[in-house]
Amino acid sequence: MSRLAQPKTSPVIKRDGRMGGGAGGPDGELHNDIRRMNLDQTQSTNADLVATEICPVCKSSRYLNASLRFLVNPECYHKMCESCVDRIFSHGPAPCPIPKCGRTLRKHRFREQTFEDLRVEREVDIRKRVAAVFNKREEDFENLRDYNDHLNDVEDITFNLIEGIDVEETEKRFEAYKQANSREIEENAQMAAHEKQSFTQQQKVERHQAKQRREAARREEEEERREAEENRKDVLKRLASGADADTVAKEGQRVQLRKRMDRQAAAERQRQLQAAEDARNNGSSNFVIKGLKAKTKAEPEEPIDPFGGLRFVDSYYSLQDDYVWEGIQEAKKDVRQTAGGYDVMDYARRSLVAAFSGLGVFVADEVTQRDQVGQDAEAVGTARADIGVKDIGMVDAA
Amino acid sequence: MTQTLTEDDIYRTSTQFRLWSFSPESLAALRKQTHDLAITRARQYAVDADIRDGKKDVDCLRRDEELRLVQRYCEQIRTTSDHFKWPVHVKATAVQYLRRFYLSNSVHTYPPKEIYKTVLFLACKTEATHMTLSEYARRISTDPDVILAPEYKIMQALRFTLDVRQPYRGLKGVLMEMLNMANGMVGEVEGVDTKGARELQQDMLTLEHPGTQATTPWKAPGSRKIDGKTLVERINAAYSAARTLLDGPALLTDVHFLYTPSQILLAALHLADEPLASLYLMTKLPLKSDARPKILATIAACADIIGNFSTKQILSKAERADLETRLERCRDPSTKDLVKTHAAAKRGSESDEEVKVQKRKAAREKHQKEGDDLFGPNLGGGRG
Repeated sequence: MSRLAQPKTSPVIKRDGRMGGGAGGPDGELHNDIRRMNLDQTQSTNADLVATEICPVCKSSRYLNASLRFLVNPECYHKMCESCVDRIFSHGPAPCPIPKCGRTLRKHRFREQTFEDLRVEREVDIRKRVAAVFNKREEDFENLRDYNDHLNDVEDITFNLIEGIDVEETEKRFEAYKQANSREIEENAQMAAHEKQSFTQQQKVERHQAKQRREAARREEEEERREAEENRKDVLKRLASGADADTVAKEGQRVQLRKRMDRQAAAERQRQLQAAEDARNNGSSNFVIKGLKAKTKAEPEEPIDPFGGLRFVDSYYSLQDDYVWEGIQEAKKDVRQTAGGYDVMDYARRSLVAAFSGLGVFVADEVTQRDQVGQDAEAVGTARADIGVKDIGMVDAA
Repeated sequence: MTQTLTEDDIYRTSTQFRLWSFSPESLAALRKQTHDLAITRARQYAVDADIRDGKKDVDCLRRDEELRLVQRYCEQIRTTSDHFKWPVHVKATAVQYLRRFYLSNSVHTYPPKEIYKTVLFLACKTEATHMTLSEYARRISTDPDVILAPEYKIMQALRFTLDVRQPYRGLKGVLMEMLNMANGMVGEVEGVDTKGARELQQDMLTLEHPGTQATTPWKAPGSRKIDGKTLVERINAAYSAARTLLDGPALLTDVHFLYTPSQILLAALHLADEPLASLYLMTKLPLKSDARPKILATIAACADIIGNFSTKQILSKAERADLETRLERCRDPSTKDLVKTHAAAKRGSESDEEVKVQKRKAAREKHQKEGDDLFGPNLGGGRG
């Protein structure tokens, strides 16, 4: 009873009264109306409850009619019940029955609201409308920067339309763009539709194939069972006609085995064919993802050469795999040496390098030669030092 | 871009080759120069006015006497190092440091008696056989300051190059390879035809015996044929003989200045067991190579120097004492008290000290004044 008592002081009516100023105004005012409406709703939860339960036109409530459906028209977003829509708009366009609104509405535009909040409903509608026109893709742009700028412009327009800022101006821009690029817009829309379609098709094909595979497996199983049965009957018949039991049983088994082998071979062949088919299809599939960047395989990095191209050449020895000398052998066995990862052959190598490094160096000859070169260099150095001394002298004099 | 590097090139990058390798002539010239400089200086600081005027010759050590004195102290280093039971490379490094030091310094300036202990201590540090200074000083009963005093001087004379390439590790490498050959394994060298491992083993077994000059203690068993076991014995004996040569004569002669470690060790092996060394070299040097005769000649020359050395050349105790008393008379007085000069250098000069004291005093006064300004006059004054 208490729930029924409330509608007497219906806030809907109050609100309608306050909405009077905005009736018949342009979109911006409508927007303000809606905002105010929602503000009212947040002010009183009771009113909110009632607003969702009662049709503002005929005042029929869900309490009395459980199948009551509310519809809105994106022209003005006023809510009314299905029967009111039928009653008022079945004979063609008519003005909105909500007082002081009076916009001309058409029946086919009425639909059920998706979002509870009408502001969200309206925003989504506007976004859909804008997105249908500004449907350029990232790959249409030279670089990411341009694309982002475009997205920013689009968002500006959308925001203006939603928030009702410079509506006329914005609308003009919007329409101008739509006119100018109608062909492109159409193309892009078609492309999107095509992609969507091919994707669903592909999915359908896959589902179909899976179904076929399942069916084939089931058929095969059945076949096998039938054959086994047949075989058994055959054996029984032959036994009845007085054949040797052992040979008949063996033969029966052999026949069954051969049949099974045949079937398996056939299945294998079938599978291979299928695989080949798949491989062919993959290459020329009609499912194409557009706009994928061409991927270049990264070159594998070259191994780092710590010696910068310097190579060590053994000219007097070659390292052998093993040395019988006990020094090496004992170290090899000694766990204290090997535990840390020390390779005994490092020692062998080092010893051999030490044994021969400098064997072909003739100190007397090379040093004499070097000294001669060194003296020349020293003479140059001395000359330079002289110049330096002179410079210093000049500085001092200054 | 790819550049190849042989063992020889590696040796050429060493400081030993770049700074401490000489031809016999340049070595002699360098020593003469150092000696002459020392004589000139000795003339300047001589007490006797006649000497200063050049009327009388200064009674300095001759060049060969200087050299033998240094040699004597090389021997001293060897015995001290053996006393500490340090590994052979410490000994070799220390000896080499001492010899390098006296290339640019005369015994007149720094008598080896004062230097050799420091050199050995330095070598034990660079060769990673560290003994603490106090322990070292205690065991040779010397004052630690005396050991440390000339250290920087020595580092300077060594031109801060502390790496000494030695033949010992290389000799072990040679031993390793020869033992493998005796066991029928051979590491082929490019360009050398060893006729296969088997053949080489046979060659080794039928090798002629070491001559009478050889220092190896191994004697061919007269009656029976040489088998694998005796061959191994022969190789080991040759190794230890060569090692003894490297330990003694090689350190006490100039070979480390004149030849590379590789040549020195092969020369020692040559002296120890000539046929064995020749066979070994046969597997290493291609017969057709141009360098082969030259390398063999170099090794032979090195072997000559080592072989001609005899312990008789080392100064006896009496001779040394005699030389040192003579040295005492003509030595450079400016380097007499190394400990004091070292300590002074470390502390900074006297005048520096004074300046520091002044500075400190001024700072203290300034600080006190500022303190007064900040907190006003003394509280005691206010009460009165």
